[in-house]
Amino acid sequence: MFSMFEKSPGGAAIDMAGEDDEPTRRPRRSFRQWLSWFDLKASPYLYISPFFLLFTLVGLFPLVYTLYVALHRWDLLSGKGEFVGFQNFATTLSDDFFWNSIGNTVSIFLFATIPQLLGALVLAAVLDQHLKARTAWRMGVLLPYVVTPVAVALIFSSIFRNAGDTSLANNLLSAVGLDPIEWKRERIPSHIAIASMVNWRWTGYNALILLAAMQAVPRDLYEAAAIDGAGKIRRFFSVTIPSIRPTVIFVIVTATVYGLQIFAEPRLFDVSNAGGIGGSQRQFQTTVLYLWEMAFFRQNLGRASAIAWLLFLLIVSIGLINFFLSRRIASGEESAAKVKKRRAGMKGASR
Amino acid sequence: MKWSRSRPAGYVALAAATALLLSACDGASTDDSTASAPPADGEEITLTVTTFGTMGYEDLYAEYEQLNPNITIEATNIDTGGNARTDTFTKIAAGSGLTDVVALEEGWLGAIMEVSDNFVDLRDYGIEDRAGDWLDWKYAQGTDPQGRVIGYGTDIGPEGICYRGDLFAAAGLPGDRDGVAQLLDGDWQHFFDIGRQYTATTGKAWYDHSGFVWNAMVNQLPEGYYKADGTLNVVDNAELRDRWDTLSAAVADGLSASQAAWDWNGGASFVDGTFATFMCPGWMLGVVQGNTEGGGGDASTGWDFADVFPGGAANWGGSFLAVSESSQHKEAAAALASWLTEPDQQVKQFEAAGTFPSTIAAAEQLAADATPNAFFNDAPVGAILAKRAEGVVAQFKGPDDSLIQENVFGAALQQLDQGTADGNAAWDEAIRLLDELVVNG
Repeated sequence: MFSMFEKSPGGAAIDMAGEDDEPTRRPRRSFRQWLSWFDLKASPYLYISPFFLLFTLVGLFPLVYTLYVALHRWDLLSGKGEFVGFQNFATTLSDDFFWNSIGNTVSIFLFATIPQLLGALVLAAVLDQHLKARTAWRMGVLLPYVVTPVAVALIFSSIFRNAGDTSLANNLLSAVGLDPIEWKRERIPSHIAIASMVNWRWTGYNALILLAAMQAVPRDLYEAAAIDGAGKIRRFFSVTIPSIRPTVIFVIVTATVYGLQIFAEPRLFDVSNAGGIGGSQRQFQTTVLYLWEMAFFRQNLGRASAIAWLLFLLIVSIGLINFFLSRRIASGEESAAKVKKRRAGMKGASR
Repeated sequence: MKWSRSRPAGYVALAAATALLLSACDGASTDDSTASAPPADGEEITLTVTTFGTMGYEDLYAEYEQLNPNITIEATNIDTGGNARTDTFTKIAAGSGLTDVVALEEGWLGAIMEVSDNFVDLRDYGIEDRAGDWLDWKYAQGTDPQGRVIGYGTDIGPEGICYRGDLFAAAGLPGDRDGVAQLLDGDWQHFFDIGRQYTATTGKAWYDHSGFVWNAMVNQLPEGYYKADGTLNVVDNAELRDRWDTLSAAVADGLSASQAAWDWNGGASFVDGTFATFMCPGWMLGVVQGNTEGGGGDASTGWDFADVFPGGAANWGGSFLAVSESSQHKEAAAALASWLTEPDQQVKQFEAAGTFPSTIAAAEQLAADATPNAFFNDAPVGAILAKRAEGVVAQFKGPDDSLIQENVFGAALQQLDQGTADGNAAWDEAIRLLDELVVNG
């Protein structure tokens, strides 16, 4: 915090000006001067302090407290028991249900994120064209995002039902002559159904973010590529995608963070099993859903907190991997851009 | 120089931050010390109430507010007992947030009893004067191990059989209430044998899904998942295993419609004849009607209610009203809860929601009235339930009873219903889950 502010060029300049004035004029400041000095020096910290205060209160404190809970035997209702060290973590790591939930989470995440990003890219590319009523289209793709996940889950849980029941998905399948699918019983179909809820909600949102990045791509790059004889598709892959790579990385990171914490969708997909623990054989029990079962059904808050921390560490490590990947890609992109610039320059010269 | 001058700024910011934080904490900590004062006459009081499912209290709240103009009732109703459990547990764990009056369900009362000091001892508010109102076992269920009474009994769940008269008749079985009561009189084996006849004739399932049937079979036993002394009673429980085998044989013969509970294909399965019988404790009558109507049916769909239950009297569910220790108006809250559970109000509650009263006088009145219920083919459901309540014994519910019912046996029964496991495999799965979730949980 300090060093960042110190190094800012603006701050340094002002500081120097102050240094010049001060010793010559008055050794002690008047109240007014003191106020303006305070305004200059302290205000920035006060302005940003609400964030850090709130973060401490609702982010950092729960995080640390959860760790404290995880190190104890802790019953939901009767509260704190004895200190057990890392036993809750050890039990969780050797727990089949935990690994089952991690597998489900990753599987749903893959089913969700990959089609979602591809869909968002295509959607953004289409929205980037000269469409009529452009704003309406752009607002349109954001509409699913406005609907709460709970409402989405309720609607989708009746779209995807078991083979014996009537549901839109199975009606469509039988219309094209396929066998109905046990959407709420078989593992992979249930993952696809849940992923479809995530995709429904997030594709448009991500498309808008990607669209914003696409519009920042300099148009002369396209012109240059067009002059070189690149078609629309070639331009999309060779100009658009490389130019918006940092934004794509951002979208992947946010999708990862959301995807690994998915709860409402699997929780409400099938409420007939113990009020929604993710299928009779935990076919679609995600890690957060398992955490919830541990805390509120099994009433073991200690182990639930251990699961929460393990999930936190998993998300942080995936975030770090993303960070290093994106740095490499960003630097790769820089050199690519340089090459392109040089080439463009040469083109200009030859013309 | 630069460094030394800007550091104080940091301290100022830090001090301001700390001050803000401290003052925030200060505000929070003063709340605890406010004690509950006895309500002065005419003092404006707002009472908060949390209930679940269909309790039928809406009109009674209005009536109470009219009788007591200084009382305002803010009620929250949670859709299912399971979600109400999560709600109550969360608030107990958080140490705040419980409403003045909280409805507790019999199935998870065992867990509540371990932390019963979150609720006031109603003996301090005169519940002992009314002890004779309730069935003895209901009053005893609301008493914690230390002898404190924490719940005013609301309803009980005597079980009868809901059945489709039209489907019975079409399958060549008697369709009238008395005929069905006679036909199904007997043990579970007999009930399933009639079901086998029905399934053989029609090719359709006999009951909706095995979870509810199993609940009934277990609740009927003198001791269920726990012995009366509080020890687990599953693994070597021959009676339980015997009933499991009876049930799994029935499932193998296609008697279960393998329905997703609380969905029932959007209620359509109640209308289209997917199944012909349904386990019906009093409070379930409202669920049957609601789902039938949700699935596009009505009174003409053919649901009826018979005075019979396989294996004898059984109770499933029933609730209590408790007053939370954190309430600011304990006396007023206890007065409201007491009034809501008086016989007169329980009769009105039954008329609104079908919940069968736990007080003797109210049950007697329903038996005497024998008011026909238009939805259930004019069956006198109150009088039938009064008969079904005879001989019901309360079963001891342990701390993890609802976990065992829902997450252990519920999950195993789903596999049984879906045909992914036979009786033995599903039982083993249940024992495995029991070990994992309860014994080592």
